This record gives sequence, C-alpha cells and structure tokens, in this order.
Amino acid sequence: MIELKNLTKKYGKFMAVEGLSLVVPRGEIFGFIGPNGAGKTTTISMMAGILVPTSGDVSICGIDMLTSPREAKKKIGYIPDRPYLYEKLTAMEFLKFMGDLYDMDSDGFEHRAESSLTKFSLLDWADELIESFSHGMKQRLIMAAALMHDPEVVVVDEPMVGLDPIAIKMVKQLLRELAAKGVTIFMSTHTLQVAQDVCDRIGVIHRGQLIAKGTIGQLRSLASSDGGDLEQVFMILTEEKGGGV
Amino acid sequence: MACNNIQTLLKPRWWGTLNQARGEKRKAGIVKFMIIGGLGAAFWVGALLICLRMLRYFSGVEQLGDILAWKFLSMVIVTIFSLLIFSSILNSLSKLYLAKDLKLVHAMPVEGYAIFLARWMEITLDSSWMVILFTLPVFVSYGVVYDPGVFFYITVVVSLVLLSFVASALGAFVVMGVVILVPASRIRTIFVFLGLSVFILLYVVLRILRPERLVDPDAFSATLFYFKSMTAPSSAFLPSTWCYDAVMAALQGAAFEAFFHMGLLLSFVLVMIFVLMFTADLIYFKGVSRAQTSAARLFVKRRLELPLIRRFSGPVKALVTKEIKTFFRDQTQWSQLFLIGALMAIYIYNFKVLPLDRSPIKTIYLQNILSFLNMGLAFFVLTAITGRFAFPAVSMEGEAIWLIRSSPVSPRSFLWIKFLMYLAPLMVLTLLLIIATNILLKAVPFMKLLSCINTVLMVPGVVALGVGLGAAFPSFKSENPAQTVTSYGGLLFMVYSAIFIGGVIVLQAGPVYAVLASRFRGVDLSGLTVSWIVLSFTASFFICIMMVILPLRFGEKRLVKNL
Repeated sequence: MIELKNLTKKYGKFMAVEGLSLVVPRGEIFGFIGPNGAGKTTTISMMAGILVPTSGDVSICGIDMLTSPREAKKKIGYIPDRPYLYEKLTAMEFLKFMGDLYDMDSDGFEHRAESSLTKFSLLDWADELIESFSHGMKQRLIMAAALMHDPEVVVVDEPMVGLDPIAIKMVKQLLRELAAKGVTIFMSTHTLQVAQDVCDRIGVIHRGQLIAKGTIGQLRSLASSDGGDLEQVFMILTEEKGGGV
Repeated sequence: MACNNIQTLLKPRWWGTLNQARGEKRKAGIVKFMIIGGLGAAFWVGALLICLRMLRYFSGVEQLGDILAWKFLSMVIVTIFSLLIFSSILNSLSKLYLAKDLKLVHAMPVEGYAIFLARWMEITLDSSWMVILFTLPVFVSYGVVYDPGVFFYITVVVSLVLLSFVASALGAFVVMGVVILVPASRIRTIFVFLGLSVFILLYVVLRILRPERLVDPDAFSATLFYFKSMTAPSSAFLPSTWCYDAVMAALQGAAFEAFFHMGLLLSFVLVMIFVLMFTADLIYFKGVSRAQTSAARLFVKRRLELPLIRRFSGPVKALVTKEIKTFFRDQTQWSQLFLIGALMAIYIYNFKVLPLDRSPIKTIYLQNILSFLNMGLAFFVLTAITGRFAFPAVSMEGEAIWLIRSSPVSPRSFLWIKFLMYLAPLMVLTLLLIIATNILLKAVPFMKLLSCINTVLMVPGVVALGVGLGAAFPSFKSENPAQTVTSYGGLLFMVYSAIFIGGVIVLQAGPVYAVLASRFRGVDLSGLTVSWIVLSFTASFFICIMMVILPLRFGEKRLVKNL
C-alpha cells in the first residue's frame, strides 16, 4: 500500500508538487497522468526515496520513507523514465549487483536471474556489457532488476518509453499479473491508452496539484464527458484548470 | 558558408561557458574565483622565482652559463611541444570520436570538415591554454634576466600559440589515421596504448639522462663531453626548433630572424589546416561511424567472480564488485595507472641514486631528515593520486546515481564503502613508497616506525577528504568525471589536504628532531620534552581521526541535500 499525505515539494520559489494526498491500496494499479512539468516525476522521485519532500509524508506498506528509508526502499521496485545504468557491467552482473544491494539470498540467484532475463528477452545478452544495449533493452533490464527482489510496491515512471510493441504488450500483461498477486503499482505515463488499458484508478496532476482521481468512469463524469476516452477527459480536465498540455 | 557553420558549431561551447559564469551565485562565484586565482597565481609566481634563481645561477657560471640557459630553454620548448601533442591526441580522441553530442552534430546539414574544424579549434584551446599559461614564467624569467624588450614577449606568445596549433594539428591528424586503422571496437584501447607509451618513454628518458651523474665529480669528464654535445643544434625539421629559434632570435634582438622562424611555424599551420580539411573530408566521418561500435573488452571472462569479496554483506559486496569491474573495464583509466606506475618508479629511483655520502652534512642526519621530509612528499603524491581517483569516486556513478539513491543503502554506508574501497589500494601504495624509500635511505628504526605509523594514520584522512569533498561537490552529468579534480571542489580538496599534511608534519617536526638529537648525542630526554612529544603526537592522532570523520559527514550532508 502507498500513502501520500500532504506531499509538497518546492524548488526555490517554484512549487513542483503541492499538498498531494493519496492512498493506493494493495493490488491496485494506479495511473498518474498530467502534462509535461506537472510534477509527475517529482512525486515519483519522492515516493522512491530519491528526493526529500519539502513537507508531507510518504508511507510504503506502512513504513515512513523519511524516518525508515532503508526498510521502505526494500519494499519498492523503482523503474525510472531514463535508463541510466552502469555501462561497464554485463546484464547478469547488473542483476547480481541489484540482488546484493537488496540483500537477496544468493542461493538459486543465477536461475532466478536467467528466468528474469528470459522473461524480458535478454538472456542472449546476459554476458554483454550494458553499453552495447539499445535504449529499449536497457529499459527492459531495469524492469527485470526492479522486480528481482519481489517488491510489494512497484513505482514506474513512463514504463513504455523506448519499448517495442511486443515488449509493451508483455509489460502490460506483467503489470496485471503483479497486481493480481497483490503488488501495488504506481505508474506515471504520457501514453493515455496504456493508462486506460491497465489502470484500476487514475489521478490527474496539473501544476503540482492533484486535480482529479478515480476510475475512468468517475473521471468521465467529473469532466462531463459521456463516453469520451481518457484523452478527451484529460484535455477537458487540464484545460478547465487553465493550462495547455 | 563554411565559416558561418563553424561559428555556429562553436556557439554552444561559448554560450555554455557564459551561462555557467552567469549561473554562479555572485558571492560564491567571487570566493571560487579568488581561491582558484590565488592558487594559480601562487604557482605562477613560485615557478617564476625558481626559474629566475636558476637562470641567475647559470649566468654566474663562466663559459657554460649561456649554453646551459639556451639548452634549458630548448628542453622546455621540446617538453611543451611533447605535452601539447600528448594532450591534443587525448583531446582529439575524446572530442572527435567519443563525445556524447557527436550524433546530434553529425545529424545536422553541415559538411564533415566544418564539424572537424570547429572541434579542432576547441581541441587546440583545451589542450594548450593550461600548458602555455603555466610555462610562461619560464619565458618571463628569460625576459627579466636578459632584458630583450617587448618584442621578445610578443614573439613568445605568438610562437607558443602557433606551436599549439601545430601540435593539435599533428595530434588530430594522427588520431584520424589511427581510428581508421585500428579495429572499431578497439578504438578506446588507444588510451591504454598511450598510457603505456608514456610509461616507457618516462622510464627510458630517465635511464638515458641519468641526472644523478651531474653531482658526481668522477663523471665530470663525461659531463663535459655531454655539455659539448648540448651545443649541437636540434633537428631543423622539428616545429619545436622553429619555435626555439624564433624565441632565441627575439631574445638576442634579431627581429628579422624571429619573423622568419615564426613565418615557418605559420606556414606549417596553414599547410596543416589544408591537409586536415582534406583528410577530414575523406575519412573523419568514416572514423566517427566506426567509433559508434561498442568497445571490446581486453579481458573477457564469463561471469567474473571476485573470490575475496564473497564474504562481505550484500550491499558491500554489490558496491565493491561494481566499483572494481567498472573501474578496470574503463580503458581510459589504464593510461592513468601506467602514469602512476612510472611516477612511482621514478620517485623510488630518485632515492636510490641520491649521492648521500658526498654531501657536506653528516650522512646519518641527512638520511633521517630526508626520511622525515619524505613523509610529507609521499603524502603530496598521495594527494595527487587521491585527487585523480578517490575524489571523482562519487561523480563516477554518473547518472546511474539513482540506483544508489533508490536502493536500501544509506548515503552514509555508500560513502563509507567508497572510502574503504579507495583506502585499501592507496594505503598499500603509500606504505610501499614510504618503506622502499626508508630502506634506500637506511633510516634509523625509529624513523622507519614513525613513517609507517604516520602513513597508517594520515592516509585515511587524505582519502576521506577526497571522497567526502568529492561527494560534497559531485558532477554526475560530467562526460569525464575524472576531470572533476580540476573543479572548485577539487581545488578545495588539494588545499585542505596540503594544510592537513603540512599541519601534522609541522606538529611532529620539533618532537622528532628532539628524539633524533637525543639519540645521536646519547643524551636522555627531559620530562618537559617527553610531555611535549606526547602532546604533539596525541594532537596529530586526534587531527587524523577528525580528518576521517568530518569530511565524510560533510560529504554525506551535501550529497543528501543536493540530490
């Protein structure tokens, strides 16, 4: 479960995220959408513990991120939007690195790593240096690594960037499977179709504020857009609040 | 058209520099400028004073004085030329073939030679400004001693600028050829090759010159012969000779001759620009295309396991393994390792050939004074190596720092692991220097023990200072984090480290002298002296401990705040 209480982040005078409160229960896929610069990545960075909020709390499975970051981070699998990795490690070595970092049991590690690489179509590249990988391959490797330690919460920033259609289909399927197993998923995306296809609930952030949240149906009625798709709803909601996309 | 394109291609660099200067907060900017400028000025003035003293000494030596001064000038210019070529080869390889923005630039509708020329200008500037700036004191000292007038200074500046263009043209030309000739996946291995060449070159030069012979009267007849050979002119086809001839002519007031030699340099530069444009049009883009291939590993082993590390806890194991593997797989680091190897060999070798028995000071005093001073010297060598490797350790994480920040490893543990990782090899290296030199000096057991204890206590302080300040002033977006030591944070590290080393050495100098004097004179130490010794060593110990804790804490605080 993820709980955000009055989360605020200011960069100097600029308010990136303002008083964001939200609860994502166990096993739910929560989509986080908003225009560029709305505060999505800032919110996700605070949830992943890589950015300290100006005020407010982040709680992961009941553990406070500010007071017990080590324990909270152990529960999270974080997938950033840009796949910056250690280019001089091989894919297998990177998985081992992540496994050790999260203090995973080394028994049977290689078997787990190989099946994970197989799932993300990277087994043939297991012993190649990451610097020779394409953007999409790096993104898949990050996903494989983030899920290695069986996280209870997955925080994903733009999961589909750089992925080919087969990989996108596989990731959508994977997210649903994880949620079915009780994993909580918080996902920011620009691809509204993906949010519509996968998410149980969606939150719309605009200029640092959560302007709407709910199921697709609830958002439609909020935007008074009967039968419109998420794109239409998104346009109405963000334009109502006075801003372009 | 081409000129406009070159101008446009140079704009990002120019604008970037301007924006960086504007972005600095005014007060912090002034402080930074004062510190960097002050250090630079101190070095400049120091070099000038040393050169002046040396030239005045030379001018006092009958007959040989002027020959020595001219030979020294010729050696300086040859060294400058070699440094410029080495630096421009490294810069050419990085800027022409491995820079991150190459894809963007080559996607633009601009001719290949225009891109090449714009980059070449940057390369010339980057690889020469520091060399010229910090060798100017040598030329100024000649100006002061021989008083040749303003024309000499103008000639020096023009000749050095032209020599920089010659060196960077030759460097770029060589790199263009090599990139086409070597297999694409081995282009980065050129760095290893370059490092190894410098190592061999330094070693061979040292063995050939044998500078220790200059203080040996027995070898004086051979030295006279050597001086005779020094008056022989250098090769007329070397650009460094044209530069030397121009400077010498200006020094002796022969303006026409100076213009002639500068003309030689200028015509060579113009020819080289034509050759470079022609060559660049033919092969530069092919080379860029080949360099896109990922690098081949020098040592390929499937799932390399490091046995010693297996016993560590998970996060420690992860970070240590990652650090070792990424370090040794980065072939640009190898050239630095070879250089350090060469410098260490030269350092120890210098002690081996010290003519202690011919010194007017009693050998046993000299040996132990040198042993004590050697500690300071070895720690300064340690500072330089720490600056190159431990200071950029945090910045080396690059944009992948998010992996550490999002993992269940606290910034404190992360920094301590980094610290311990760099401490181990640097401790071994410094102990090796200290023990080897003490054995060669035949220092008394007290000095040997003191040197070792001081090393064990002070190395952690210097390394912690490096890692801590490196974390406090990180540069995760830098294309070459190893260069962060030349940043403001790097300079602060150098200054603090020098203060730390100097402070401890000064604190111990008196007590050590008292102990040695009492031993050589066979007199017992008084109660007051013993208290003074105990107090000094306790204070040194306390300073060493604080130098580990405080920088790491400061680094941790700043790292958390800045991320």
